[in-house]
Amino acid sequence: MSGRRPIIRVTHMTAGYGDVVLLDDLTFDVYQGEVFVILGGSGCGKSTLLKHMIGLLRPMQGSILIQGRDIAIAEGAERLKILTGIGVMYQQGALFGSMSLLENVRLPLEEYTDMPDEAMDRVAMMKLQLVGLGSAANKLPDEISGGMRKRAAIARAMALDPPILFLDEPSAGLDPVTSAELDQLIVGLARTLRITFVVVTHELASIDTIADRVIMLDKRTKGIIAEGKPQELRDHSDNPWVRQFFNREAAV
Amino acid sequence: MAGEARVMASAETAQVVLQANSDADGGLVFFIDGPLDTTTTGRAWRTALHALSQSNPRRVVVDAARLTYCDGAGAALLLELQRRQLESRGSYEIRSLNAAAQALLDLYGRSDRPGPEPASPGWSSVEQIGRATVTLWHDVVALIAFVGELCAALGRAARRPGLIRWKDVFLTAELAGVNALPIVALLGFLLGLIMAFQSAIPMREFGADIYVANLIGLSMLRELGPLLTAIILAGRSGSAFAAELGTMKVSEELDALVTMGLEPVDFLVVPRVIAAVVMTPLLAIWAGFLGLIGGAVVMRSLGFPFVTYVIQVESAVTVSDMAGGLSKAFVFGIVVAAIGCLRGLQTRSGASAVGESTTRAVVSGLVLITIVDGVFAVVFYYLGL
Repeated sequence: MSGRRPIIRVTHMTAGYGDVVLLDDLTFDVYQGEVFVILGGSGCGKSTLLKHMIGLLRPMQGSILIQGRDIAIAEGAERLKILTGIGVMYQQGALFGSMSLLENVRLPLEEYTDMPDEAMDRVAMMKLQLVGLGSAANKLPDEISGGMRKRAAIARAMALDPPILFLDEPSAGLDPVTSAELDQLIVGLARTLRITFVVVTHELASIDTIADRVIMLDKRTKGIIAEGKPQELRDHSDNPWVRQFFNREAAV
Repeated sequence: MAGEARVMASAETAQVVLQANSDADGGLVFFIDGPLDTTTTGRAWRTALHALSQSNPRRVVVDAARLTYCDGAGAALLLELQRRQLESRGSYEIRSLNAAAQALLDLYGRSDRPGPEPASPGWSSVEQIGRATVTLWHDVVALIAFVGELCAALGRAARRPGLIRWKDVFLTAELAGVNALPIVALLGFLLGLIMAFQSAIPMREFGADIYVANLIGLSMLRELGPLLTAIILAGRSGSAFAAELGTMKVSEELDALVTMGLEPVDFLVVPRVIAAVVMTPLLAIWAGFLGLIGGAVVMRSLGFPFVTYVIQVESAVTVSDMAGGLSKAFVFGIVVAAIGCLRGLQTRSGASAVGESTTRAVVSGLVLITIVDGVFAVVFYYLGL
């Protein structure tokens, strides 16, 4: 884990909507090059936490340092620097429907680099080939399957080679084979390109394959109830709810 | 042969220098000093490819001993140089590349990856005209089919009124009818006022200004009141119906209805059409009334007593004029609501589709209003109304 250098630091973060607090006093680090998984049951605030980490929402209290910059208070150029250093894959892909896959991946390059047209095409094509979508580059998002859309969304998130990628439910709604392929892709990218992944999921199968480290959120305590490697949590957690989750038992 | 690119990547220290030098035996050597990333590669790319196309060398060497960092964009440049040398059958070599960059090149450079399928060729103008014609024909067929479907649904509703979703009817009646009262009032009043004012000036020359009352009474109640109402309805409610049903289509809510055994036409279209049919004639009366008030204001300012104006209007407008106007409004209501719903149901997928449906609902609504109005004019002429 490359010297255990934290690339994201969340410190005493409290978040919610209006008067309702969903996450209370959260503190954790994400280290460079690891696949970090945020786990939890439905409604525990996983997606809310993700939205705070990518700057869509601002926390009520606390700080979220991304590569040393606080996204909770950053404005203007500072905020842009953080945002170009992260890539996000949304649950449904959120590809722009009027553009082909290649154009979708090209868009960040057009906006943030001074590359010539041909260079942008090459780079965008390379990213698509990396996720196995080279032959579908000219297709519209409507014309491809859900799994392909998610892979294309990863390619777009990687367009500017950000050191951090956020993935929201990468395997939701996919068949086990496609989902496993996507997991392989994530692990491959993390190992070869040394990208840091922050993944929100509740698919047990993918957690085993991809996760270096896991935090588990809980609705009742509004905080982290477990942190560590997935195998350790399953076998040695002293929290019954954590063991239930990993062993797929219904709550009694 | 020498080129150089110096790029300041950001306020920090990232900077790359790419130098292109010819060596003794006609080869081209690129020295790279600094990081090749998304911010620096653009300039380096231009310099390198410019130098390459200028000298067309047999042999290209990239000296990467001082390459500090390389990301996907940098890898793309190194691979592009390689691709061009392969194409021109020249040789290509990268010297002293660090391990991380080499791993990146291996990852991106695997040649077994499929390239893009060729994009479909564009259509010729003849083909475009043909396709547009076919599309138009399909649209007409769809319209006719929808009219049939709607009639059947309305028939079912008339036989068993208990099945109609009255809650939806009243809600739509409020949104499309009651909430439209202010805008209809404003436009009706202004229309009456402006028409009276504009016509009073020339008519006064002939001493015929009392007949402005006839003009306002007849035109507002028989023609312009219903037309104005229908146009406002198309803009306010036809578009709203299309957007509402279109969004339901995009989010698969319509499919959900169908799988529950509920016909979207019965469930969604019938309540809207009933509401529009009831509200349009009422709004047309309202528009006509406000138009008459607008006329009254002008007539009053011309010195005619209010009573004179009222008597003149009463003598000019017959019950059949009134009935003609209301029957038009009735049909306009059906047409605008139905076309709004149809465009909503026809929505394709994607974010832009809903906007497209809304536009089509308003445009088709206006076109159909014009056509129906023309038909009414002919029918009224032959009936002697």
